[in-house]
Amino acid sequence: MNIDWVNTKIKQRPPFQMIEKVVEYEAGESAVGIKNVSVNEPYFVGHFPDAPIMPGVLIIEACAQLCSIVMTSGDVKDDDKVLYVLLKVDGFKFVKPVIPGDTLKISVKKTRAGGPLVTFDATAQVNDTVCAKGSMTFTVTDKAGIYSDK
Amino acid sequence: MDELKIKQGLKDFFCNNLGIEADQLEYDTPLFSDGIGLDSIDSLEIISYVDGEYGVSMTGVGKDHFYNIDAIAAYIVANS
Repeated sequence: MNIDWVNTKIKQRPPFQMIEKVVEYEAGESAVGIKNVSVNEPYFVGHFPDAPIMPGVLIIEACAQLCSIVMTSGDVKDDDKVLYVLLKVDGFKFVKPVIPGDTLKISVKKTRAGGPLVTFDATAQVNDTVCAKGSMTFTVTDKAGIYSDK
Repeated sequence: MDELKIKQGLKDFFCNNLGIEADQLEYDTPLFSDGIGLDSIDSLEIISYVDGEYGVSMTGVGKDHFYNIDAIAAYIVANS
């Protein structure tokens, strides 16, 4: 599934779109996605000027965006009214730096769903070597409710 | 359903998943603001645990039923 398909599943856009292609997909269960890490990414200007490394929080964001692709129902009417919100990040490890030129292969798999929460295990690999892994928990929330009392 | 087993299961869940020390938590210990200080994310975790473990939905249930382990266990027994 290419970028056109990805754009129907998530609302994030450049420079904050962290999934460019999905190579495996089981709705509601799991997915494998690709993020090509270019030296042109804006964050490399400052992280770090003499040693560009992809920030760990953005690897988490890439994993979270792939999870939201898995959770999205595909029904545009429903998906326009809700947001999938990251609530909790557990046990993330950043084992190996991700640098410009790397192709980040991200795998997510639902491990638990009950009540309002859905939990995924996530792994980010470059050339079949694990760079980061951990788990993350989401809930779905009514978009209107987020802004109603601000 | 054995209420005592439910209470023990809840306590194990709090200690293993929410980072609460076992010696700080009795079945009648208040769980939120004036107690051990759980937050709104923890309450969603509790709802998720109860739903998954006992098939009882606590979504939208009043906060009195989350006051302590005794109250949650009583709600599970009454609604399962």
